Amino acid sequence: MILEEILKNRAGFEEKIRKLIGRPVLLIELDMFALPCGCSGITANMRGLEFDDLEVFEQQILPLVKEMAENLGVKPTVTFARLVPGSSIVASLNWRTLCPRCYPEFARGAGKMPRPDLYMLVFERRK
Amino acid sequence: MKLFVPSPGHIDSLKELLTQKEKIYSIFMAGSPDYIGTGRSNLASPQLEDIKEQTEFAHKNGVKMELVLNSSCMGGRQLTPEGYRTNHWYVEKLVDIGIDSIVVADPYLVETISRDFDVDVVVSVLAFVDSPQKAEFFEDLGAKSIVIDSNVNRHFDVLHAIRDSVDCELKLLVNEGCLYRCPFRYAHFNFFSHAFGPEPRPNVLDDYYYLKCLELRIENPELIIKSPWIRPEDIKLYRDITDVYKIGGRTHFVDWILNCVNAYYNESYDGNLMDILDCPKDLKDLYNIPNRSLDGILEKQWTNCKKVCNKCGYCRTLTKKVTQVYSNGGTEHQMCLPWDTIAVKT
Repeated sequence: MILEEILKNRAGFEEKIRKLIGRPVLLIELDMFALPCGCSGITANMRGLEFDDLEVFEQQILPLVKEMAENLGVKPTVTFARLVPGSSIVASLNWRTLCPRCYPEFARGAGKMPRPDLYMLVFERRK
Repeated sequence: MKLFVPSPGHIDSLKELLTQKEKIYSIFMAGSPDYIGTGRSNLASPQLEDIKEQTEFAHKNGVKMELVLNSSCMGGRQLTPEGYRTNHWYVEKLVDIGIDSIVVADPYLVETISRDFDVDVVVSVLAFVDSPQKAEFFEDLGAKSIVIDSNVNRHFDVLHAIRDSVDCELKLLVNEGCLYRCPFRYAHFNFFSHAFGPEPRPNVLDDYYYLKCLELRIENPELIIKSPWIRPEDIKLYRDITDVYKIGGRTHFVDWILNCVNAYYNESYDGNLMDILDCPKDLKDLYNIPNRSLDGILEKQWTNCKKVCNKCGYCRTLTKKVTQVYSNGGTEHQMCLPWDTIAVKT
């Protein structure tokens, strides 16, 4: 059942992003992951998506990333894009439920880019 | 026709490939990355005993064995006394094993191997032989065979000029889907040469050149149409240049390689052109370009193409006509849509 959901969501997300930016981008692999530190979440490896697309269409992309998380039952602390270092290429979109150890790395600072290769879309800051 | 066919590099692959040995003239595969390395990505690291076993198996089946040592950058190590001794030792072992030919990209290795060993030296496509002058140069160094730079696969005047200039064997790499006159070509192959060569190897998370290449072609699939691949049906137009063809794809499954072997052996393929192109393998799940929709195009248009794209527009129009995009891939609603119904910018 979960695999069918992943297949359906991979295709659905890809279609919506294509319609939004007017280019046949490819969601080449959609993964759910668990890390040894305790973080977990979803990774969407993208081909053909650029940093400019995120900046220009961020408000339209945000509901789509939220919908993806809900559909796959993930409650991410942070949703971010990872860029190929030094370039405008978006390598992946990531939904991550942060463990207590990793949370401070993302929480330090208030900017959109806590690291030069990461662009924050959503961050649920603890109170 | 002589078909040179890639092997991922282990004996199990070779055994599967040689179930169709009657279609294969020679297998080629990379050697150990610990010596000269190769200019492309690689799945195996066969040691000398593995190479020996595979060479004997190929020979027993009447198929030749070619080793690819075509690193485009060795950081100067090959010119040091230690580097020379190590490479020389390695080539000597390969020759003792009975390897039929060795592919190299560095002119220094072309000269030294052809001078010192009784083995056929093949000039790699990564030596970028794209003119009669370069071909003559490598033949004079001792090359027995030259894989012509695929960038000139559709420059028939250049191909004929090279044919007329040298006596050695010429090979054409038929299914490389790289960008025409790719601006990443040198940097990318140099990167591979270090990543798949001796230590220290760079620990790179993202291959910028590959991802950028895909990005460009997702934005504009005309770049796929302009890539200098040769369709199986169009082999016949190259017969007066050579009858030796190399199929790229040593990082693929054997099933994929044999599909290519059959396509080129039969000079016919009914399916998506993307299925038989080596390089942009990620894009086979994005684009469907029916191979048959390109029947006659090489003869009619590309044999005389001047490569002044902004004044022509033929490939642009052709791309819109033949390129389809997979939509809802991996679900029951999967379908193919014309590319220009999805793209708003070109």
